[in-house]
Amino acid sequence: MSDQSIAARMKNTASSRRVDHLAKAVFLAAALISASFIFLIAGIVLFRGFIPFLSDNGGLGRVDLFHFLTADVWLIGQTFVSNLYGVGYLILSTLFITTLSLLISFPVGVLTALFIAKVAPKPLAKVLRTVIETLASIPSIVFGLFGAGVILKLVYDFSMAIGYQSKGGNSILATVLVLALMTIPTITSISEVAIRSVDTTLEHGSLALGASKTQTNFKVILAAAKSGIFTAAILGVGRSLGEATAVSLVAGGRRSGVSFDLLDTTGTLTTMMLEGLKETTGLDYDIRFSVGLVLMVVILITNLSLNAIKRRVGAVHVKA
Amino acid sequence: MKKALLAFVLLFTAVSLIACGTSATTTTEPFDGNMTINVYTRDTTSGTRAGFMAGIGFAAAETDDSVLVDGFIIKDNTGIMTAMTIDEYGIGYISLSTVNNTIKALYYDGVAPTEANVMNDTYGLKRPFMWMLRAEGDYPSQDVEDIVNAFVAFLGTSDAGDIINNNGAIALPSTVTWDSIKSQYPISLEDNSDVTVRFGGSDSIQKVAQALTAAFVPKCGNFVAEHDHTGSGDAYKRTNDPAIKDTSVGKDVGFASRFFKTTESVLEAQRGQLAWDAIVAIVHLSNPLSDVTAADLKAIYDGTFTKWSDLDAE
Repeated sequence: MSDQSIAARMKNTASSRRVDHLAKAVFLAAALISASFIFLIAGIVLFRGFIPFLSDNGGLGRVDLFHFLTADVWLIGQTFVSNLYGVGYLILSTLFITTLSLLISFPVGVLTALFIAKVAPKPLAKVLRTVIETLASIPSIVFGLFGAGVILKLVYDFSMAIGYQSKGGNSILATVLVLALMTIPTITSISEVAIRSVDTTLEHGSLALGASKTQTNFKVILAAAKSGIFTAAILGVGRSLGEATAVSLVAGGRRSGVSFDLLDTTGTLTTMMLEGLKETTGLDYDIRFSVGLVLMVVILITNLSLNAIKRRVGAVHVKA
Repeated sequence: MKKALLAFVLLFTAVSLIACGTSATTTTEPFDGNMTINVYTRDTTSGTRAGFMAGIGFAAAETDDSVLVDGFIIKDNTGIMTAMTIDEYGIGYISLSTVNNTIKALYYDGVAPTEANVMNDTYGLKRPFMWMLRAEGDYPSQDVEDIVNAFVAFLGTSDAGDIINNNGAIALPSTVTWDSIKSQYPISLEDNSDVTVRFGGSDSIQKVAQALTAAFVPKCGNFVAEHDHTGSGDAYKRTNDPAIKDTSVGKDVGFASRFFKTTESVLEAQRGQLAWDAIVAIVHLSNPLSDVTAADLKAIYDGTFTKWSDLDAE
């Protein structure tokens, strides 16, 4: 190699390093901006969420934190007059509803993903993938309108058919169905990516050892993709926990007591924040930030525990 | 094999779509009076709820859920409408302006819920939207007084009527347009961007009042409309009560969602009505009930009546 070409390469390296530095700075700035929004939002909700517990709320008195977290009635006494707010029952209902909807959306979502990635003929897989991606991008209000117009009617007719009078279909069942519909596309598309990225040598090895297609799909491919599938479930749970608009149209706005009766009305932290939000003032408005704060803590704890489980489940043989 | 699978999926999609169509037309069974009444209500921040509960003599339930019958369902106006198309055994209440033929609007004390009956004051489940002004010459400035007088004239026009009707209330009939009377109010031609007019009183009227000032501000020299709505009781207190009207919470125009009491007496020219807010109890079309009384509705909402047959027994 001549001295000249070495010099040229050195110069090249120097200029590409400058580009590297510049790119790094741009990425850092982008990361800082997005991260700072999270801190800004979390900070404001944190600050405003604590106000009802610290100030005397324009003469109504401090809200008791312990009562707030454990009570099974949203508000004892009159709105704008009482400070006896409580979200204990809403926390339990929220977790209950999320779990039930995951029980539906997880198996359906993962099996759909497996079908698209491994079983379906190419053209059908392509169509289905588009359908799922479209479903995933449908705004929640549309799911809500579908829920209020169709699912409520189905649940109402179903309960009448089994001889039980539901509250016009407004129920845990309707809420769970709407949430399942909303989370299936999320779980499907992320699981499908995880399934497709399983190393084909694993699949070929399994088939070569005499395992059938179905055995391979369930025992090898799903097992190998479980980390990615778990991520799909975590995102699905996140969407369920945080959904307000669609849920508020089918839940029925329960004001007290946890109900595990599938055909009884229910409420979640998000629906409580949304109801009357546009009309209310004073403590009744401020307390919604506190509910938001509780919701953020619930989501954080759920995510941390799901991630801990995910780490224990572990990842095997998944391409980067 | 793959073609068969494709065909199967297509068939399945087609069948499920057809199933969707048929399930919507299930046969309705005859109305069963022994079924529980499903009670639908707005949430405690709703002005319609306050008007309804006060109207049926159940004021305690205006802002308190605990006095309502167990198992009530909370929905917004549209939510209650949709619910009554599904729930044969439900009852709810909505603003008269949103009634349509998908639900059954109940007569109240034998009077049909129509705009005409609201106007001729025979339909009872309603409340008036009233305005009250300060005494003549008792304004922060002559400009404020002139703007307020122009605003009151505006309230009587069909321009304001459209805005009131679009916000769920029922305006009093008018054939006058603002354009035909604005020449009588020279203040509307001036630049008033440094004049602030303070509006207050009923929070139920806030939405209507804000819509009205939003439309009137550009017609009247862009004055500043300041809204601070705290309740009907403050309509009189903050405009005419000598102890309060000149403090920082004093107002130039106060609104009340009820008639003024005898203790709130001011001159005739200082008060008036701008609209009616009518509320209608609604049920499913298959419900044989067509007429309710205030007592019936109170008994349903406080849990005295829990079955539809309880109403017949009366």
